[in-house]
Amino acid sequence: MAPALLHAVLAASIALCVAGVVWRVSGWLRLGIGPDARDATPWQRARAVLASLAAALASRRAPRVAGTFLLDALLLRRLFARQKLRAFAHLLVVAGITLLVLLHALAPIVTARLFPAYQPTLEPWLFLRNVLGAAALVGLAVLVAGRARDRARDGLPRRPFATAFAALLGIVLVSGFLLEAHKIASPRAFQRMADQFAAAAEPAELAALRALWARDYGVAFDARRDPVATTVTEQGIRLHESACASCHARPTSAFVSWPLARMMAPVTAFLDATHADAWLLHLHVLACLLGLATLPFTTFLHTLAAPASLLLDAVARSGASPGRAPAAAARAVRRTLAPDACVRCGLCDAGCSVAPLARFLDNPLLLPAHKLVATGAVARGRLPLSGDGDGRPAREAVRIADGAFLCTDCGRCTRACPVGLDLADLWDAGRGDLAASGLPGTATWMQARPAAAWADALARRAVPRSPDAVDATGALLSTDRRAFARCVQCQTCTNVCPVVAHGAMAATGVDLTPQKVMNLLRLGLADLALGSRMVWTCAACYQCQQHCPEGIRVADIMCELRSLAVERLGAVREERA
Amino acid sequence: MRYALFLGCKIPAALPAYECSTRAVLGHLGVTLVDLDFACCGYPARSYGRDAFVVAALSNLARAERAGLDVLTPCTCCYGTLRHAMRFFAEDAGLRSRVARALADQGLAWSGTTGVVHLLTVLAGTVGIARLTDAVRAPRTGLHVAAQYGCHALRPSDVTGIDNPMAPTIFETLIRATGATPVDWPRRLDCCGDPLHEADAALSGHMTRTKIVDAVESGAGTICTACPHCHLRFDAARATAPVPEVRTLLYTQLLGLAMGLAPGALGLPAGAEGSPGQGAAGAALAR
Repeated sequence: MAPALLHAVLAASIALCVAGVVWRVSGWLRLGIGPDARDATPWQRARAVLASLAAALASRRAPRVAGTFLLDALLLRRLFARQKLRAFAHLLVVAGITLLVLLHALAPIVTARLFPAYQPTLEPWLFLRNVLGAAALVGLAVLVAGRARDRARDGLPRRPFATAFAALLGIVLVSGFLLEAHKIASPRAFQRMADQFAAAAEPAELAALRALWARDYGVAFDARRDPVATTVTEQGIRLHESACASCHARPTSAFVSWPLARMMAPVTAFLDATHADAWLLHLHVLACLLGLATLPFTTFLHTLAAPASLLLDAVARSGASPGRAPAAAARAVRRTLAPDACVRCGLCDAGCSVAPLARFLDNPLLLPAHKLVATGAVARGRLPLSGDGDGRPAREAVRIADGAFLCTDCGRCTRACPVGLDLADLWDAGRGDLAASGLPGTATWMQARPAAAWADALARRAVPRSPDAVDATGALLSTDRRAFARCVQCQTCTNVCPVVAHGAMAATGVDLTPQKVMNLLRLGLADLALGSRMVWTCAACYQCQQHCPEGIRVADIMCELRSLAVERLGAVREERA
Repeated sequence: MRYALFLGCKIPAALPAYECSTRAVLGHLGVTLVDLDFACCGYPARSYGRDAFVVAALSNLARAERAGLDVLTPCTCCYGTLRHAMRFFAEDAGLRSRVARALADQGLAWSGTTGVVHLLTVLAGTVGIARLTDAVRAPRTGLHVAAQYGCHALRPSDVTGIDNPMAPTIFETLIRATGATPVDWPRRLDCCGDPLHEADAALSGHMTRTKIVDAVESGAGTICTACPHCHLRFDAARATAPVPEVRTLLYTQLLGLAMGLAPGALGLPAGAEGSPGQGAAGAALAR
């Protein structure tokens, strides 16, 4: 490739990478998760983050914040605590790629300045390149294999372009090794160098040099085309020392490329004929540049977002306060960067308190990693909560709401997260957004209409009568007549009910009483009770059940009426009252 | 005395003092606590159908059974939920087979050999009042304490089985063992108001405040709890409403102080609990 074209591609890749990063990072400031997200403008949010950083760095705890950040972000302390192999593999990849970029890709800018005698074909660079490349390749393989196993076992959500980007990294590393190996074995490369640095040498001298390079440097000469002396002579050694030795060490320390060159020797002539040194180089460089250009649009943006998250987490934990409003604005940024920082490692899902429920209800949106992906999609407007704009909640949105409101706020996901996401805060904000979109918690949407309106809606839609729903909800007590037939309407349940009593005192009141609910069941009018305030504000304190002279399980029936209501009223929920 | 400790969701997230005081006190009394990979007790799923809630609850008992341990929980709400799940599983053959199948899908099984006990039962029964009294080094003499039983410890008694649901004495006996004086208060068996907080915050707050006023008017300076939900609800009501100044203290903290454990080990501010009736407001109210 012409240098001008290469430079143009390089410039375009850098421009795309920078533009992508700016776009994605600006999303952390633009997008909103949580009802209070619009309280601060993007500019105020940016300032709030800087103010938090400044407050933490100005406080006495600054060294602690810095230490926490370095241990968590660079050494992956949190991941090490839970998954040693994965953390180690990740470290191999990060260290390998970072050092290769600095020492190898940016060699003219970095290495050559630091070490004036730098030549890529001298030690220790030859050896180092192999160490770093092998480390990155091994780490990558371990991560990809582990990921495939975890995904198959735990059903983790997909990551955008993760496989493609990992494959690209693999191509960069493998093509690098192949290129190096081919250049070791290539007579064409030897000839090009000889033309340049031993142009004055006689054919006999060159033959002697070839003998040395064939023996010690692994060049796979074809003696029919390039004469090779039968033994290494003083003449060859002299020419080598004057023309080659200052820039070339024996490549035997390149423990990947050297054996690879040996293996490739039989096909070296063929590869030379195809100009493999050129196309392997192009493949290597173009794959690098493609990776650079696409990085911000893949899950590998986490290389930026995860350390940012860990930094903000360390700052938030430092206790240094930039003030109330900036703290809230900084929290808003932590929420929006969360979907980009999350690597779907699944540690949150594995320890989730409601994991058994998620499985039983067959709703993965109960699990943190899935919830996070959905929350991010909602924030980006890719997953509308309000369906087709007629006020009906979208089906997927109802499943999201189920996941959001069944969460017990136990905080385990937040404690497990290796990238320091404040998931507890994120779930709280997400519930606020859901409520604002007409998807509040069950107890709230149920109370949006009076019990009679719900019963009317059920009658209009002819949703099968309660007893038929038994299988769906596992309800029994509230639909089996034997459970309530003995009720003599003595009102003991109502008299001992604290909700009835306090409702009268607090003037919020309930519409029915426990005894009336039992009576509706007796009369076969359960639908009239499903949306009642009595059923939905029942404290399940079991006073009624404990005191019932007929042994009716009043409170258990109340609980069952709720699950019947979720099932049946959910079916007519979208209809306007 | 060896149990699997079931903390539930609320304690680790919002009331870590209950965890550390429970561990400290039981540790000193020779009770070994084992940590298992527990999940939610199932309570939030009660509105999603009985099967869902029973599966969630019994997945925990299945893990305890695998470890060959009974479950000890300091959370009264979790206690009631787990006991309810056991009852539904026992009495309903259809549900039993559906739940067993769902558990098997998750690689679990529960044959009913593990049980669930409440912290108060272990302290009063298994450890025993005599041993508690022996362990007391700094009796809380002069402290007037209202026992907050918590609904799901008492009712329905055929499920919970801790004490007589109409006239329980276990909590008062435990308070007496610390040297403190339990007070009689008319609303001691009432609901704290927590379960309906989401549905009706005003009504819930009214219930909580009414109980606090009742405890204070009955001569208590401290409300003693054995459930994170009750405890946090009282704390929230104290902080947000003009109710009489009253202390809330977890029973494990009260007992730990009486045993002479450091306040810090019980999740209490260091030094603040040196003597009975501590704190200006508490002392004034500890009539």
